[in-house]
Amino acid sequence: MTATDTPPAPAPPPPPPQNSAARTVDATKVYGQGDTEVRALDGITVDFETSRFTAIMGPSGSGKSTLMHCAAGLDTLTSGQVFIGDTDLSRLSEKQLTILRRDTVGFVFQAFNLVPTLTAAENITLPMDLAGRNPDQAWLDNVIDTIGLRDRLGHRPSELSGGQQQRVAVARALASKPAIIFADEPTGNLDSRSGAEVLTFLRRAVDDFQQTIVMVTHDPGAAGYADRVVFLADGKIVDAMVDPTAERVLDRMKRFGD
Amino acid sequence: MLRVALRGLLAHKVRLAATAIAVFLGVAFMAGTQVLTATMSRSFDEVFADVYKNIDVVVRSNREIETGFGSERARIDEAAVVPVRAVPGVEAAEGQVQGSLRLIGRDDKPIGNADAGPPTFGLNWLTEPALNQWKLVAGNAPTGPGQLVLDKKTATDNGFSVGDHLKVAVQQGNPEFTVVGIATFGKIDNYGGVAAALFDTPTAQSLVGQPGTFDWINVAGAEGLSQTQLQSRVAAVLPPEDQAITGAAFTKESQDTFRQAIAVFNRFLTVFAGVALFVGAFIIYNTFSIIVAQRGRELALLRAVGASRRQVRTAVLAEAAIVGLVASVLGLLGGIGLAIGMRALLRAVGFALPTTPPVVEVSAIVASLLVGTLVTVVSAWFPARRASAIAPVEAMRDVAIDTSGRSKVRVAAGIVLTLAGSALLWVGLVVKGDNAVQKVGGGAFFVFLGIAVLGPSFAGPLSRLLGAPLARFRGITGRLAQGNAVRNPKRTAATASALMIGVGLMCLVAVAAASIKATAVDAIDSSVAADFIVNSQGFDGLPPSIATELATTPDVQAAAGLRFGPAEVGNSGQFVVGLDPRKITQILKIDILAGSLDDLDTDQIAVSKKVAEDKGYQVGSAVPIVFRSTGPQTFTVGAVYDSQLFRNGRAYLVSTDAFDANFATSEQTDRQVYVKLRPGVTPAAARAQIEQVTDRYPTAKLQDLTQFKSSQEAQVDQFVNFVYALLALSVIIATVGIVNTLLLSVYERTRELGLLRAVGMTRAQVRGSIQWESVIIAVLGTLLGVAIGVSFGWALVTSLASEGLKKFAVPVDQFIVIIVAAGLVGVLAALWPARRAARLDVLQAIATE
Repeated sequence: MTATDTPPAPAPPPPPPQNSAARTVDATKVYGQGDTEVRALDGITVDFETSRFTAIMGPSGSGKSTLMHCAAGLDTLTSGQVFIGDTDLSRLSEKQLTILRRDTVGFVFQAFNLVPTLTAAENITLPMDLAGRNPDQAWLDNVIDTIGLRDRLGHRPSELSGGQQQRVAVARALASKPAIIFADEPTGNLDSRSGAEVLTFLRRAVDDFQQTIVMVTHDPGAAGYADRVVFLADGKIVDAMVDPTAERVLDRMKRFGD
Repeated sequence: MLRVALRGLLAHKVRLAATAIAVFLGVAFMAGTQVLTATMSRSFDEVFADVYKNIDVVVRSNREIETGFGSERARIDEAAVVPVRAVPGVEAAEGQVQGSLRLIGRDDKPIGNADAGPPTFGLNWLTEPALNQWKLVAGNAPTGPGQLVLDKKTATDNGFSVGDHLKVAVQQGNPEFTVVGIATFGKIDNYGGVAAALFDTPTAQSLVGQPGTFDWINVAGAEGLSQTQLQSRVAAVLPPEDQAITGAAFTKESQDTFRQAIAVFNRFLTVFAGVALFVGAFIIYNTFSIIVAQRGRELALLRAVGASRRQVRTAVLAEAAIVGLVASVLGLLGGIGLAIGMRALLRAVGFALPTTPPVVEVSAIVASLLVGTLVTVVSAWFPARRASAIAPVEAMRDVAIDTSGRSKVRVAAGIVLTLAGSALLWVGLVVKGDNAVQKVGGGAFFVFLGIAVLGPSFAGPLSRLLGAPLARFRGITGRLAQGNAVRNPKRTAATASALMIGVGLMCLVAVAAASIKATAVDAIDSSVAADFIVNSQGFDGLPPSIATELATTPDVQAAAGLRFGPAEVGNSGQFVVGLDPRKITQILKIDILAGSLDDLDTDQIAVSKKVAEDKGYQVGSAVPIVFRSTGPQTFTVGAVYDSQLFRNGRAYLVSTDAFDANFATSEQTDRQVYVKLRPGVTPAAARAQIEQVTDRYPTAKLQDLTQFKSSQEAQVDQFVNFVYALLALSVIIATVGIVNTLLLSVYERTRELGLLRAVGMTRAQVRGSIQWESVIIAVLGTLLGVAIGVSFGWALVTSLASEGLKKFAVPVDQFIVIIVAAGLVGVLAALWPARRAARLDVLQAIATE
């Protein structure tokens, strides 16, 4: 993890570490031009290691959501590169990006995670249905049992509580066995008990199923579930912490206020 | 609050576009109809005023008979002109002969469009300069048999000049004439837009009138004498059976007759404009409902900061009124343009219409603006009420809750409307009575409204059912389409209902047409024994010589002509059919229930079973009939027949001799000639022989039975296609409605679509799912329309069974086409919304708070 202010060299990117699920190389995202120019991402190079739970933290406007969007193929960089596995996202067409998101990436958003006209079960298998693939039934059962919503599968999102909805979203993200899951404030709209449940599931996905997860959050408690925390400020990586606890993260966050 | 309304208007201008389009199209149709008919009335007023300009008084017969399609006046004896000429103050008096004929062009085909165009006038050349408005531009006036003068336009268009020969199709056959002169009517090149051939008076009488008679006598008075003064002087010398009216009154009569005819046309078109506006009302209702739902928080906020319910309602209604008014103004302008275009179109297909600038009456302006605005405001009424019912607290709620439409009140109202409409429809169809047509129309209106009100309660399950195959076979795309069509039954129902109306009326027409065709074909199958039928093109009949010549053709066993003439029986217009009683059983399968047709005397008549039952006639009963030419006559019933032919078995049959005795020479023409071949001769083998005769008559059209049946069917189809074209506008408006609903839904589902795109739905899949949703809505509306159309059609056909509509036929093939077309309409309607949905910026969509 290095942050740099120097202009990007035209040299070939460094070889990927053996255990990288996704990584960015000198990722830069600029909005506007001239006086109104905003550098949301200012040359970020970061690895998200396989089978690890990484949290991205930072104050509002630090670029953490932009980083996630670009890393997940939802947004494109102004310059620099994003890799998921060995795939360079900048070389993909819009359609290829869509298929990559469908087949290789799992998503959990803060809210509005589920399609209201589909049942919980249909929401879970949505990416595979979109691909026209049959889900691995044993794996699906495993996931459903893990989130503990077997009896709610036939219900529509409007008939589920907020916590249940987020658990369904996590199940959807897991169901297609993606290379990486991106979670954007997955507990932001939940009460603490439901939030803890969802975070426990994410943790278990990493521990039990060797899933790779990247989570954007501003909640130190949530970050405490991660293996590693990356801190962003002004579009740059300013710090990192391995095996964080909520207290240590909170301490680190307080220093941003300075 | 007006400012709120205006702001709302500006903020939602795209969403209100559909409302505006719906109102615009409906109003344009209505205004176009008004302007077109007003313009036609005005121009024909001018034509008649021009044609009769020189006439101060008209002398004519008192006898007038009702024909079922207007009245006809008896001709006047030509001797009547003598005493009139002697009246002091009469400068000139001359008899007028006027009738229709066909000119045969250089290509040996009748000039002009025989089926759709106006006939050519045959007139006598007036020799009195005070009365004759024709001005020779070449040659001379006609002075004997074999001579005619052509109007300049016809001569120019068809390449005739003085000295040329041309044939004329009349009762006497196709006599050849020499063009002795070419004339203009005043300054105009033809006769009020119509072709004319002028002959000397005796020739005109024998070709298009009755020898020894005039249609009326034109009288011109001396300078300084008023028309009324001259009229009373002339009236004093007339026998009691004749009358004198002023030229002004005569002109007005003609103008009024035309105005009445055009008023029927006007009402007919206005019905379709009304249908279009009715369909538009659903679009307006739906748009405002959706807008109110989407603006729920904004409206709740208004309420929270102190706006009264009434103010909220007024704001929504004001918005509707402004949109309605603006769209109506545009519609009015569009209508004027439409009228101009229609007139050009009519002219292009052969109707020679005079050129008058478009007439826009104040009433048309007021009606267009009023109706357009009112329809909009009334349609927005329920959404406005719903808006005013939004509680202030909803401003704080996260998502607007759409209360679904399965309330008991709604169901009850829907059922009451549907039943009341059905009852009214039934009364109109079966009990009839006064205003039967209005009752039928009103009944249909309420049934449509009732079904639409009920819509939300069955649109959900029905859409789910329709979408089931999609979910099964189109995977998640189909599943999403199904889910979206089902999720808001009210919206789906209102959108589908709009389509239901147009499709329902189309299916009604299709069923009625199929039944009429089936009945006609059945009548031909069961009643015609002949192998060929010679039909006449256009209004004028065929010369009797065709039947005579065909009868002597070797392969022909019998050839008999049927003459049709109007007459008055018991104050109602009826048809008298003249035929050869000895031949009828060879050419027709006709049941004789009493008496005998073979020896029908000239004072005897055959009546149908229906007429006999209605009037209590038996063989030997006296039947009083009034003819135009011969006045009141009494016939004796010689036979009672039963047949589906002859105006569904209502016509009065007489022998050809009896017919000819009571009609003018020029009217003694055959409408159809039936040809029966000798046993063992096939139609294919005999055709060439028969064509040798018919080919010499340019207005004759030879048809075997198959061709005859299909030409009967084609006539029905022509009308049906015309009605389809008029209903197409309603379907277009309904399609705009689908586009609108989908656009608003796509807007509403921004986040959902963003989510779907984020988790890997491709653009093509997004488009597919919107398209399938659209197809479900379109097919739902179409199926409802088909169901209603078939029900209406069944009711209509059943009620007309006693009028001879015996067969109930459902054109399944057409319905399949209609349903498939509905699917295509769905795909088309979805194009733009699907594109918008597919182009959605994923990031913005999921970031929308």
